[in-house]
Formats: sequence, structure tokens, C-alpha cells
Amino acid sequence: MANSYWVEPDVKFVKQLMGLGGETLKKCYQCATCSVVCPISPDEKPFPRKEMIAAQWGLKDKLVGNMDVWLCHHCNDCSTYCPRGARPGDVLNAVRAYSIQEYAWPKWLGKIVPDGRFWWLLLAIPVAIFLFVLGVTGHLHIPEGEIEFAHFFPTLLVDLIFVPLAMVWIPLTFGIGIYRFMTDIHKNALAEGKTKRKDLNIPDFLKSIACALPTILSHNKFSQCSENKGRYLSHILVFFSFLGLFVVTNIFFVALYILQIPGPYSMVNPVKILANVSGIALLVGAILMISNRLKDTDANVSKGSYFDWSLIILVLGLAVTGLLSQYIRLANVAVIAYPMYFAHLVLVFCLFTYLPFSKLAHMVYRTLAMAYSRYSEREPCE
Amino acid sequence: MEKKLGVYICTGCGIGEALDIEKLEKKVPPKIKVRKTHPIMCSPEGIELIKQDIAEEGVNTAVIAACSRRVLYDVFDFGPETVVQRVNLREGVVWSHKPQEEGEVDEFIQEMAEDYLRMGMAEAEKILPAEPAELEEPIDKRIMVMGGGVTGLSAALEVARAGYEAVVIEKEAQAGGFAARMRKQTPSVHPYEDLQEPVIQEIIREAEAHPKVEIRTGTEVSRIAGAPGLYDVTLKPTGTKNKWDIPAPVEAAEGAEAPAQPPMADEATPENPANILAKDPEAERFGAVILATGWKPYELEAPEKPAEPAEAAEGEEAKKEGEEGEEVKEALSLEHLGYGKLANVVTNVALEEMAAQGKILRPSDGKPATSVAFVQCPGQGSDEDFPYAAAITSMVALKQAKYVREDGGADAKAYIFYQHMRTLGQNEYFYKSAQQDEGIFLTKGDIVGVSENGNGSLVLEAKDTLLGENIKVSVDMVVLGTGMVPTTKDDPVLNLAYRQGPGFRDLDLFEGYCDSNFICFPYETRRTGIYTAGCVRRAMSIQECREDAMGAALKAIQCIESANRGVSVHPRSGDMTFPDFFFQRCTQCKRCTEECPFGALDDDEKGTPLPNPTRCRRCGTCMGACPERIIGFSDYNIDSIGSAVKAMDVPEEDEKPRVLILACENDAYPALDMAAMHGLTYSPFVRVIPVRCLGSVNVVWIKDALSKGVDGALLIGCKFGDDYQCHFIKGSELCDIRMDKIGEALLSLALEKERVQQVQIAIDEYDKIPGIISEFMATIEEVGPNPFKGF
Repeated sequence: MANSYWVEPDVKFVKQLMGLGGETLKKCYQCATCSVVCPISPDEKPFPRKEMIAAQWGLKDKLVGNMDVWLCHHCNDCSTYCPRGARPGDVLNAVRAYSIQEYAWPKWLGKIVPDGRFWWLLLAIPVAIFLFVLGVTGHLHIPEGEIEFAHFFPTLLVDLIFVPLAMVWIPLTFGIGIYRFMTDIHKNALAEGKTKRKDLNIPDFLKSIACALPTILSHNKFSQCSENKGRYLSHILVFFSFLGLFVVTNIFFVALYILQIPGPYSMVNPVKILANVSGIALLVGAILMISNRLKDTDANVSKGSYFDWSLIILVLGLAVTGLLSQYIRLANVAVIAYPMYFAHLVLVFCLFTYLPFSKLAHMVYRTLAMAYSRYSEREPCE
Repeated sequence: MEKKLGVYICTGCGIGEALDIEKLEKKVPPKIKVRKTHPIMCSPEGIELIKQDIAEEGVNTAVIAACSRRVLYDVFDFGPETVVQRVNLREGVVWSHKPQEEGEVDEFIQEMAEDYLRMGMAEAEKILPAEPAELEEPIDKRIMVMGGGVTGLSAALEVARAGYEAVVIEKEAQAGGFAARMRKQTPSVHPYEDLQEPVIQEIIREAEAHPKVEIRTGTEVSRIAGAPGLYDVTLKPTGTKNKWDIPAPVEAAEGAEAPAQPPMADEATPENPANILAKDPEAERFGAVILATGWKPYELEAPEKPAEPAEAAEGEEAKKEGEEGEEVKEALSLEHLGYGKLANVVTNVALEEMAAQGKILRPSDGKPATSVAFVQCPGQGSDEDFPYAAAITSMVALKQAKYVREDGGADAKAYIFYQHMRTLGQNEYFYKSAQQDEGIFLTKGDIVGVSENGNGSLVLEAKDTLLGENIKVSVDMVVLGTGMVPTTKDDPVLNLAYRQGPGFRDLDLFEGYCDSNFICFPYETRRTGIYTAGCVRRAMSIQECREDAMGAALKAIQCIESANRGVSVHPRSGDMTFPDFFFQRCTQCKRCTEECPFGALDDDEKGTPLPNPTRCRRCGTCMGACPERIIGFSDYNIDSIGSAVKAMDVPEEDEKPRVLILACENDAYPALDMAAMHGLTYSPFVRVIPVRCLGSVNVVWIKDALSKGVDGALLIGCKFGDDYQCHFIKGSELCDIRMDKIGEALLSLALEKERVQQVQIAIDEYDKIPGIISEFMATIEEVGPNPFKGF
């Protein structure tokens, strides 16, 4: 049979998935309860049953570059109903973590970001850069007088670091990953008969992104989960607070450089209010995520790996340092306010720099996969 | 012995309300003086009443008209001297029939009760207390165990622990069987996850050390003559011939002159062994035999190696042959697996032997095998496993997959392609532990083929896999999950000096496995005194074999102790009766000898039956077979049942038809009782007589009934055929054949053959009883009344 698939199980890959939170994957005995109970899986070729055997057999090519892995929202309805405790939800989560590493460029960053042994190094990089920049420019001390963060870390310096990160580093590194990701999921969809569209047409694909946006913004996939309703609230809080903070950052960027209005801005300024509301939402969202995961070890709660936890801790850290920087500034305690601000900037740097390598990369990959599933007509366009 | 009957009518349980008891009592003939009624006959007062009559009035036969004989038999037991005849008024009459007018005594129901009482009394006149069969020689209580593997040695140890002596006969030079040639065994202890060191060495040590166990290696059984308790066994060194070997059966071709019979003992030679009636004076005596000869590997037939270009033509030829013989077809359908052609395709047995010797190496070049595929089902569109495979075959594949992982390092891969993964009970944990090994890959799959990949490695292709597509894998070796063929498949093994042949009969019902009825009677065979255990009975794991050995050991002991007391072992355990032959009238027709399901009867040169009381199970099949009606039991014979049939009252009115039901006491009679307990009702025109087995039904009873004017006879018995449930294996089937023949006889009497029918029922099908009876009544109505009525 010429059209037989050459199976080459990769035992190492199996072990890696196990290490990324999928340690239960071998328990699956292919009853397909998971595919039946999954509230969001398409009717044709439903996941995660087929992904489970691919994971057991170490078939990397059937998992990395499989859009279905990204359509999963980790509700864990499947894990709750799995008669063998194979936790398909967690296994797909592990596959996503692996995929992020696989598409990462440069590769070594993809290896060390999810590696728990190197957290200190990831923090040390921005700390070293900031200390060096501050030292060279003579700002390595707590300024006198009313607290204004620009006195300590000049805005220009901040932007000289962050603008290139946002404008060059992220597009470059992520772009390569995205390109390879899109090529792979299209190839895989063709191979597995999940699409009839032979080529990947950019304008149509952009339309599909628009198609997927209502679902993404309304979080209505999350709301279909029955076992893990808590995740809907925490994720929507974090999601919209990031969106809010993104908007705020852009407005202030315009205010500063185009309208020439330097901060700090009044606390009743509507943009400032949005910033604070977002900050608090981020804090609440992060706390909810943590408490959801720490609730006892019910089947519906995934314990999570370092890869998951590092992002949640980062989000919590961002919210805490951001809000505290502001409140301590208002309380006028310079010795705490400035270091807090420094810490906040370190965390923002981490967020930006490690975005394509951390779990946060799902925001792009999942969006693309959801768009592609509409493009391929696997799911209808809303 | 002079009969003195006492009739006891119970009026409890609704009998007194539904029937006119006074009228019923009047049906007792005046010559029977002792007649009593009691509201609760089974109460201590009721029992005391009967006991008093036995002691003071000399009653020796108590006719108790109360409930079914299937209940309270222990309460109505007055010792071996007193015959008890039960008349089933409760289940048989008042519970299973509703009066046409509520609260009134119904004419039809009253007639039914009266008939049953008459029939009961008539039968009771003809039966005598049973006397145990007496043996001429003292029995030997030693047990011979055939086979010195796990099962045989375990059985011997169980026998010894119970205080009896066991002699193990092993044909190989070493005891231990296949278990001694294994690397590891599947787990038998918590947590049922890890491979275990084979327990066989420990069992051998224990058996060798036990004073009541004797192991004789290098020994075979030449002949087993005799009967339970009195087996005379000739043993011989393995591979030798002996003048006591069982001669090949001689059968006269039709029309030809009878061939020469095997010689008597003094003329016999190893080449021309003695006939089965000859007795070896040096034979050893045993009480019972445990057959634990186990299994042999299923022989895959390697396709013949044809010259390359001729391959296609050869294939066609093989196809033609395949149509004729099944074995060729088997070999053909396995050709795609490459067995015999590719050195690296081996059976699970070969792999086990290799693994026990050392590391798993490719047979082609001796390189370590780091990826191995286990094929559990030959595929080609069928989801059947290899012949003789069972749950153990799945377990072996999982075990050997673990060997591959043990030997091949961290990247070693073991694939298992199955259609059925059978890991029963605790073995599920073993399945899980193998499944959770990251180097073991399991999938359902239909094997398309195995081919060579150039460098000695193989490519296995499969379709319909769990991966959702056709797949190919490259492997070093392919292991075929072939099954365990029972040694009894092609070889009688036992070498019995029985008229019915040296081995078991009809084993093809069980594909050669040695069994009589799996569900109801494990360990039993169709040869009383010979009990099977282990893989000769069913493909089993070592643990299962050990448990099985215990069962067979206990059965063997039970047999010896029953034979010793002259009672039946099974299934009529404790029955003291034995078929009595009135030899003066025997015509040497040999029907009893041939039809006995248990080979209890041998015969002499003239063909006169030679009974072996301890082989008999008291089913009465011989009695049903005998055209001369010279076989009977003291409490169950042609006359006793015939008298009951003749005692039936057959009115001449057309609106009162009469039907005789002969119901097997094992399934049908309980089903009738249960129907009554569940409040189901049936026609009041039937009269039910329980029989030991439909095989014991003699056609004369049917003839008696029909010539008396009874409109029809319905025989209800156990299911027969492949999934038979007959307690005596062949009884209901033999009856069916006889009834077929009676149909012709009826036609010659100008009676419709629809008047006699046989139906099959299982014990739990009581709900079918009303339907079966009303259907038969409808047939009888259609056929019309019996013209012999009133003659």
C-alpha cells in the first residue's frame, strides 16, 4: 500500500510531553469518551481521541502543526470523564507547550524559557541591562523630591529599550514562528483531509481572522466548558485587562511624543482610570487563576507545569508591581516606589522579550488556528 | 418386599381451598388403609404423623401429595428403607391453574389432582429402596496425574495435601513442562504489574519433597483399563511400544467380512497389541486420573518455498487445495505474514524460548532486536485471533513486549497489533503497566502483510488502525501470537481400554479442548473418574492452571470416595441406584453400549454389555435406548413410569383432551415449578411426569400413552447441539433422534406425527412454559382427538 503512513514513534518525544504536564498520556485506551464529551470539538474528525494515540505513539508530525491542538481550550471536561485518568486536556496543553518550543526562534530561547532551571537567568538579563543603562547614564540612585518615575528611569531610555523590543524583536522572532506554524497547519490539514482549500490565500485568511474575532472576544468557547467554568472569568479578566493596558500604553505613547504631555497624569484622567481598572482586573484575574489551580486536585483542575505557572506568576507580578508602583508613588515613599517601578519594568521586559517563547504565545497561535479552522471550513464563520 | 403404601395429603399452601379434598381422598383405593390429611404436612406434627405410621402401621412407601419433589426433600426423608413418592399438587396443580370461577372448585383442576394422585400411587407400587452397587474388588485411592507441568504438579500437591497419594506421569525427562522454559511469568500477586519469576521451580521442589507425591519422568501411559476406583494402568518408557498399547479400532467395512480382531493377551506383541478386554496382570491400580497433559504450540504451516517465477502458479494451486482441506486454507491465509519465509518472523513460543536463553536477537543475523511487532490476529479482513489463542495470548504479548523493553534499552520499541486485547480481572493492571511504558505501542489493526526491508529488518503494514489510517512500521522482528493446542486435539492421550474408544468423544465441539460442559461442570469429562485441568481444558495462565489443578484434584477425590461407597459421583451425587440388566433377554443389539454418553458399558465378544458401576452416572440413557426394555433402576424403571402413564384417566369427551408431558428433571421440571411460583398458568389437560433425562425416555411410554387414547406427548428437555446444556451431554439429543423415528411408527398406526414433539428449554426460561404448552395444545386441537380413545 503506497498510501500507508510510515510510523516512526519517537520515544523521547513521548517523554518530553510527559514532562510538560502530559504525564498521564499513556493511560489512554482509545475509548473516545473525550471526543464525545468535548463541548467544543467539531463533529467531523473530533479531537482529542486521535491526538491521544498520536501522543502515545510519539508521532510528533501528527501533533506539532495540528490546528486541533489549538482549538482545545483546556476545559478538561474530557479529563473529568476519562475512565482511565489519561487527562486528554492536559496532554493537549503539553502538546501546545511543546509546539511553542518547536516554533520558537531562536531555538535556544525556546529551550530555556520553559526550563524551570533558568528562571533566574531570564530575570537577570533585564536587570543587568537596566543597571547598565542606568549606571552609564548616571541614574543609579534614588532621586530627591516629588516622586516622578522619569526622574529615576528617563522615559526616553525606557522607550529606547522597549520600542525596539515591540517593533523589531517580537515581529522578527514571532514572525518566523508564525510562518512555520501556518505552513505546518495547512500541510497537516491537507494531509488529514481537514480542508479542501489547496492553497493558503492571505486575504481570505485575514477575513477568517475577522470571523474568529467575535468568538475570541466573547470567550464563548470558554463559556461552553462545563467542568471548568471558573476559567472563563479569570481568562476574560486577564484578556481584557491586557487589552486595556495595551490601549493605555499606546495612548500615553501618543500623548508623550506627539501631544508632548509628560506624565504622571491625573488620577481622574479617563485613560488613567482605564489603566487602573485594567490593573485591578489583571490582579483579580491572576489571583483567580491561581486559586482555581490550587483548589484541591479534582479531575477538572489541572495541576499545571512550570510552563503554565511561570506565566501566571508573571501576570500576577506585573499587576502587583504596577499597582504598587503607583500607590507607593502617591504615598510618597521613594525608597520603595523606585525599586518597585524597577521591578515592574523588569517584568514588562520579560513579558515582551519572552512572549513568543512562553505560554503567552498561545494568544497568537490559538488565534491563528481558530482563524484557520474557519478558513478551512472546519468550523463555521460567525 | 411387600409394599405397604400410606397416602398423605397436605391441605396447606392453597391446596385445601382449590381442591375438594374429600373427593380426592376417595380416589385412594380401599386396599390402602393408611390415608391422612394434614393442614401442614411438612410441620413437625405432620412429619410425626408419617413417622408413626412407618413405625406402627408398617408403611414402607409414603405417597405425599403436597408440594414439588424439588422442595423439602430433606424434611420428607425417612431413611433409606422408606420409599417416598411425591405428588406435586402445589406447583403442579393449584399454583399453576386458575379456576374458571373464582373461589369454586374447578372440575378440570380437580381431575388433574386426582390423576396425579393416581399416577403417584401407581408409580410408588413399582419402586423399591435403592441399594448401593457393591464392588467385587477393593478400590485403590491413589490418583494418577498425567502431565508433570504446572498443572499436573500442582494437582499432585493438592491431592497430597488432602491426604491422598499422587503419582505424576511425565513423558519428558524433566518435570516442569513449558513453564520451566520461560524467562518470566505474568504477575499473580498484587500489584499485578510486574513480571514475576516463574513459580515452577518452587512447585517442582515442593512436589519432589512431598512424601505423598511420586514423580515418574520419561514415562507414558500405555493403557488405562477398568473403572473409577479400579483403574488398571500400564505404564511404559516414553517412545516405546508395548503389547498393552490400545489397538487401533477395527471396523468392518459395509458388506465386507469382519476383519481380524486384536489378539488376546498371550498372543499380543508390541506391534499387534492386545484387545481391550485383555487384562495386564502387572498393571498398577489407581482410583482416579487427573489429565493435565497441557498443550502444544500451534503449528503454523510454512508455505512451501517455490521457485521464484512459479510463485503465482503455485498460489493458485494452493487455492484449489484449500477448497478441499481446511488445514491448507489455514496455511494459505497466513502466507502474508511471511512465516517460514522470513527468518525474523517467529511465533510467541519461539520468542519465549529465546528470551529464556538470553537477550532477544534477530534470528537472521543475531543482532539485538530493538523494535519488535507482536501480531495477535492474522488479519486479512477477519478479526479472529490465531487459532487456539485466548486471553493468555494477549497477556503473553504484553509480557514479551516488556522483554523487548528490558533488552533493547531506552529507545526499544514494542508494537502490539490486536483485534482483541483480553486481560481479564486483575490482569487489567498488567495491561495498564505495559501500556504506560513509553516504548510500548498498542493499536487495533488488520495486518496487510510483512515484507523484508533489505537489511534484514521487516516492514509490517496494517490497516484499520486506531491511528485512523493505514500504517507501516519498520521492525527487527515480528512475533505471531499463536495459540495453545490442547494435547487431546489429535491424540486420545488417555489410551482407555473402553468399548467406545481410547479417548474422549465429540471434542470437536470444544475445538479439541477436553471438556464436557464448560459452564455447569468444570473438570468433568465424559469419562467418569477422569478429570481435566489446565491447558488441556482451556488456554490458561500459570496462575489459572494452579487453581484449576485444585478443582480437578478435589473432583478426583470426590470420585474415589463415591466409588468406594457405591454411589454416583456426578451430577446425581450420592445416588445409590444402578441400572439393572435382565441379561437373559438381551439381544446384544449394543444400543446401550454405544449410546451411553459416558462409555460406562463395555461388551464381551458376543456383544453382551459389561457394566462398570463406577463409570455410570445414572442418567438412564441405556434404559431409554433398550428396545427389549430390560434395563431399569430400582426407583426408576420402565414399569414405574409406564404404570404412572397407564394410571392416567382418559375421558372420552372431546372437550377434555389429555396430553402427557415428560419433563427433564434438570431444567424443564424446575422451569415448570418456577412458572407456577411466578403465577403463570397453563392448560389443566396436561399431566407432567419428571424423568431423569430425556435420554432415559423409552418410546414404550409414549406408545402406552397413545394407545390409551392420550392425545399427544410433549417432551421438554435441555438444549442440545453446540451449546448443549444437557446434564448427561447427549440425552436430549438422543431423545430427539428417537422421537424422529417414533414419528414414522406413528404414521404406520395412522396417527399424526405432530402428536409427539420435543422442545428444548433452559432452566431460566420458565416464562416460556405457558407458551410452549398452549402451542402444543393448539396443535393437538388442530389434529383432533386420538381415535384410540375408549378402546
